[in-house]
Amino acid sequence: MNLNCKHEHMHYIAPALIVLVLITIFPTIFLYIISLTNYDLAQKPGSLSFVGLKNYWYLFSIDKDFWKSIGITLIFTIVSVGVELILGMAIAFLLDGNRTFRRLKSSLIIIPMVVTPAIIALIWKLMLNTEYGILNTMIKGIGLHPVNWLGIDTALLSLILIDIWQWTPYIVLMTYSGLQTVPSEPLEAAAVDGASWLQRARYVIIPHIKPILSITLLLKTIECIKSFDIVYGLTQGGPGNATEVMSLHIFRLGFKQTHWIGRASANAVLLLVLTIPIITLLSKNIKYSREM
Amino acid sequence: MKGIKRKTLIVPIVTWLIILITLFPIFWMFLISIKQRVDIIQFNWSFTPTFKNYVTVFEKYDFIRFILNSLSVVATTTVISIFLGTLAAYGFARFKFKKKENLAFWVLSLRMLPPMAVVIPFFIMGRMLNLLDKQLLLVITYLGFNIPFTIWMMRGFIEDIPESLEESAWIDGCTRWEGFMRIILPSVMPGLAATSIFCFIQSWNEFALAFFLTSFNSRTVPTIVNSFISVLGVLWGEMAAVGVVAILPIIVFTMLVQKHLVKGLTMGAIKG
Repeated sequence: MNLNCKHEHMHYIAPALIVLVLITIFPTIFLYIISLTNYDLAQKPGSLSFVGLKNYWYLFSIDKDFWKSIGITLIFTIVSVGVELILGMAIAFLLDGNRTFRRLKSSLIIIPMVVTPAIIALIWKLMLNTEYGILNTMIKGIGLHPVNWLGIDTALLSLILIDIWQWTPYIVLMTYSGLQTVPSEPLEAAAVDGASWLQRARYVIIPHIKPILSITLLLKTIECIKSFDIVYGLTQGGPGNATEVMSLHIFRLGFKQTHWIGRASANAVLLLVLTIPIITLLSKNIKYSREM
Repeated sequence: MKGIKRKTLIVPIVTWLIILITLFPIFWMFLISIKQRVDIIQFNWSFTPTFKNYVTVFEKYDFIRFILNSLSVVATTTVISIFLGTLAAYGFARFKFKKKENLAFWVLSLRMLPPMAVVIPFFIMGRMLNLLDKQLLLVITYLGFNIPFTIWMMRGFIEDIPESLEESAWIDGCTRWEGFMRIILPSVMPGLAATSIFCFIQSWNEFALAFFLTSFNSRTVPTIVNSFISVLGVLWGEMAAVGVVAILPIIVFTMLVQKHLVKGLTMGAIKG
């Protein structure tokens, strides 16, 4: 069947592609260009000029907070994703062990990750409040000292906790749906051969759900690196710069304290660069799982 | 046997406990939204519920205007994305052409652009073109993540429809376009509905772009939460009321697309 002329696919694809190029490629190139200038929102007209790689040099060698923001982003990402993976898989196995009301249970458990992030920040602001938040009220109730949840040493931990609360359901949902597709024959065969539960999990179940898990983890990792909303809503990167992830550092450079759009753009370019390897890995994984 | 019996009891209990813990923060926000200021600060369980916070939010803070702003931005961007995205999805699902997969993955990668990376050029371009604080600018920027999402979701749904259906239509004299309109579109309606809802949810929830690209006239719901922190202190009750109203449609919609969650949350990469 060949009814189409050679480029008929373009009739369908081109409109969307043109829009996408206009609204993403074009701004991205613009971003690269700005990152090479001394663009400043508070600048006098006429003083805009190209400064070469000076903004990048500034970030790498003068701006210590830039390196700190990379460190915080990495800690935030690694710890959150790690805990979510373990916890999420455990809960998914638990859900799988008892299948009554499974539809209801999985749609209830998913709620935190669809709720507006700005509202999540608000919810946790209410709960973590030192004086009348519920968490400290409970802590005082059992006779312990109230905790300053958003203090300089604890704020990052609180953010990680919130991320775990919000995103563990994601891993649960994905693992759980993967578990539904594990064929029963090899599992039964393994059981007959006397394999323990752990061995069955290790050699039959995990390999089977690995593709879906790796895609989920990569998507989650990108989500972590991008994160802005909740950090902004809860701490604005503070106290000091204790929770200043990369997006918040860009915000501080470009909009909050200083108006160094040029430097902020250089930082934004580096944030983009950081996501590239993960997106590449993700594409490979998706390609692989689509071909299966 | 005894061990098995105990296990059958423990597992559901633990599961429901986890679900309760998961939902508690949201329930807590709801409680605060129906409390008077005194009850919020003094923390007691026995209080008379009040809807005063909701009334204040709508009457004093003109909340309805922000809801309408959000709705018109979200509806416009969703309609445009669904239209352009579904067409492109058909192109990706049914044609073979050079570098198709590379192009598809390029599209997918756009969905993952960090908002703080694109907000700067959009901000500057918006300033130059006098588009800052206009709904149009938000609609345009939201297309950047909604179109790629729609393409990938709808591609999956279209690929699920057997090609033979279309082929028999062609034999009956339909053109490609007629086949698309008469065979494909009616069969992907459920998928189209689910994809629209996902677009709605992610646009409704969007914060960073809305926060930087609007200031007053086009503020959307997520960006006004922080305006309840004033010199007089934080207006917890009002804030919580805004939160409850903001997430209500999201929760209803999530229940509606429950069947397609896995697909939606991996952008159609995994068939749920």
